[in-house]
Amino acid sequence: MHAASTGTSTTPETPQAADSRPPEDVSAPTTTATSTTAAVHAVNMTKTIDERLILDRINFTIRPGQYVTLLGANGAGKSTMLRILASLSQPSRGKLTVFGHELTRASSPSLRARIGMIGHQPMLYRELAAVENLTFFGRLYGLPDARTRAMELLEYVGLADRAGDPVKAFSRGMTQRVAIARALMHEPDLLLADEPFAGLDAPSTRMVELMLARLHDEGRTIILTNHDITQSLRLAEHALVLHGRRIALDEPTADLDPEEVLKKVGWTSC
Amino acid sequence: MLMLRQIYWLASKDILIEARSRQTIGLVVVLGVLIIVVLGLGLEPSQTSGFSATAILWVAYLFGGVLCFEKTMAVERHDEALAGLLLAPIDRGAIYIAKLISNLILMFSLAIVVTPVAVLLFHFDLSAALGAFVLIMSISMVGFAAVGTLFSATISSSRLQGGLLAMLIFPISLPLVITSSQLLLRIFRGNQELSFSGLSILIAFDVIFLVASWLVFELILEP
Amino acid sequence: MAQKKRIPTPAIIVYWVVTLGLFVGGLFLLAYYTPANLRTPEYDAGAAQKIFYIHLPIAINTFVAALLVGVAGVAYLIGRRLVWDDFAYAAGKTAVLLGGIVLLTGVIWGRSAWWNARPWFVWWEWTPRLTFSLVLWLLYVVYLMIRPSIESANRRALVCAVYGIIAFLDVPLVYFSTKLLPDLHVPPGQAMSSGMKWTLLYWFAPITMMHVGILYHRFCLNRDERALYESAYDNEQTPAVA
Repeated sequence: MHAASTGTSTTPETPQAADSRPPEDVSAPTTTATSTTAAVHAVNMTKTIDERLILDRINFTIRPGQYVTLLGANGAGKSTMLRILASLSQPSRGKLTVFGHELTRASSPSLRARIGMIGHQPMLYRELAAVENLTFFGRLYGLPDARTRAMELLEYVGLADRAGDPVKAFSRGMTQRVAIARALMHEPDLLLADEPFAGLDAPSTRMVELMLARLHDEGRTIILTNHDITQSLRLAEHALVLHGRRIALDEPTADLDPEEVLKKVGWTSC
Repeated sequence: MLMLRQIYWLASKDILIEARSRQTIGLVVVLGVLIIVVLGLGLEPSQTSGFSATAILWVAYLFGGVLCFEKTMAVERHDEALAGLLLAPIDRGAIYIAKLISNLILMFSLAIVVTPVAVLLFHFDLSAALGAFVLIMSISMVGFAAVGTLFSATISSSRLQGGLLAMLIFPISLPLVITSSQLLLRIFRGNQELSFSGLSILIAFDVIFLVASWLVFELILEP
Repeated sequence: MAQKKRIPTPAIIVYWVVTLGLFVGGLFLLAYYTPANLRTPEYDAGAAQKIFYIHLPIAINTFVAALLVGVAGVAYLIGRRLVWDDFAYAAGKTAVLLGGIVLLTGVIWGRSAWWNARPWFVWWEWTPRLTFSLVLWLLYVVYLMIRPSIESANRRALVCAVYGIIAFLDVPLVYFSTKLLPDLHVPPGQAMSSGMKWTLLYWFAPITMMHVGILYHRFCLNRDERALYESAYDNEQTPAVA
């Protein structure tokens, strides 16, 4: 249905490829087969912030329903990448399609409605009650009965009895669960989770893990960044490793062990 | 229609938060009253005989306004709630208009408290042309809030020091200050009718900066 | 790479020599083709009226600089290339420089013109023209002042681009609002002789050339300075990439 985007993405090597390093070879064979169906498809995606290269001609494809973990050292560009995928930030060069639509600054609201994000920060209003927060965001997503949906989700994350309390009264783990509920209000097809386990205690971590697994079972695409490599490899089915501003590894997690990944991240070179 | 409803939800969210925390309005009103008291103590009584009304009020409005803009945007910055808004499938213009409305509501509340205080302390006589005064100040405030809302969103990074916003908005808003004081001087001192040509400068300011902000807003919002 | 010394090319040297020559020529025109004194009963400009021939071209160039800041701002918002910000910064600097000269010459001119007729006329009166040049100058002084207080280059470029656009849109509004200020009664001026007209026209050449020259140099300087920071960052990073 997106013939135009498919046509252009088969010729990924645009002028900026006149660099010494060869392009990643993933794009060429897989593009035609997957770009109409891929959940996320990046072709030579480059991001510079303050004229510093953060991501350098990244190519990868994520299938719908895949549970992918994005790994990398601190400052490797994981959060930047998720922000770009969430359309909060734009690639400086290159192309990024999500569900076959190109993500641009003015990308259509209908596309944004299919993406959900759990960030470092909860993205909630502290003064408002949990249920008010969820209802508010649900309305922005055009949900017909936002309040009912909000209560359902609070039930789902186990906070139904605290629905009326302001978010500022919540602990870190509870806030994180409300944030997850916020990301799920509009039933996104693509869920981006940026360090969702940061600062959580063991029971909360387990709860979030189970929640993500359940979402995966429902057929949603999940991209998870995490600093705990072992945990990530246990949870996800596919791993993308960012190193040296590029994708250093793009493999199913079943074939990987944490030591190998650590090596790829550049840990041993120190 | 959908956009109007979104604007309503966004603005009422701001007002609800303000009603809960009552952080901004109290701060702004007290600041405005303080400014008027300081000016009152600093000026001789003979110098404050009505004609300086606009200048004194403008100082209070300008500083109070900047505080409003900073505070309403701080609500979005906290916990990156702004990112949540930007993720939602809504037009960024709606976010701008909603913020503008919230700011205007706060600024009008400020004016409703501060103006009578100034009238009382300085014996301003606004009765000669109360309607013209309200009209001129309202139009000016819309323009001021239009510019202020735009810049408060532009420098939305929380690391920026305070005072920067005032630096950005004050020089831009000078046409409003000059025009409104000159118009009011003519009305109160010269007993002249409200001239449309003067009013049209204020209206032009509002229209130009509302349109420009609307156009630019799409491009600037990044959490 | 950015550390290399900038040696002026022959073209640049020729450019500045020509500019200087035009300046000297302009001074001769001022000396011979404009009246030594313009005097009416209530208006006595004296030799200060010669300021006018420089004042007007510089004022026009200030508007051009303001326009360039705004245009570069629009270009940055659309293209997101920091070179546009370098250019806007250069134009902002020339706007402040030229606007400062406009303000200063305006003050001197006003003081001299009414010196005899109105001894109470001091250096500053809130006349429309003086107020206009003051506000215009302040607008761009602020543009320069806010820059160092924003650390991130992208954020700084963004804030400055928006400010540059809004400030340029503000210029006509400032102009019309200052016209509401009470003006001093200006007597009808004498018709300009053709020598005066040509001198005025001539002065646009050296001043515009000076403006363009300064703009170009500031732009190169800003661009190189940024390149220097970037290369410093890259050296510090040195990623262990195969």
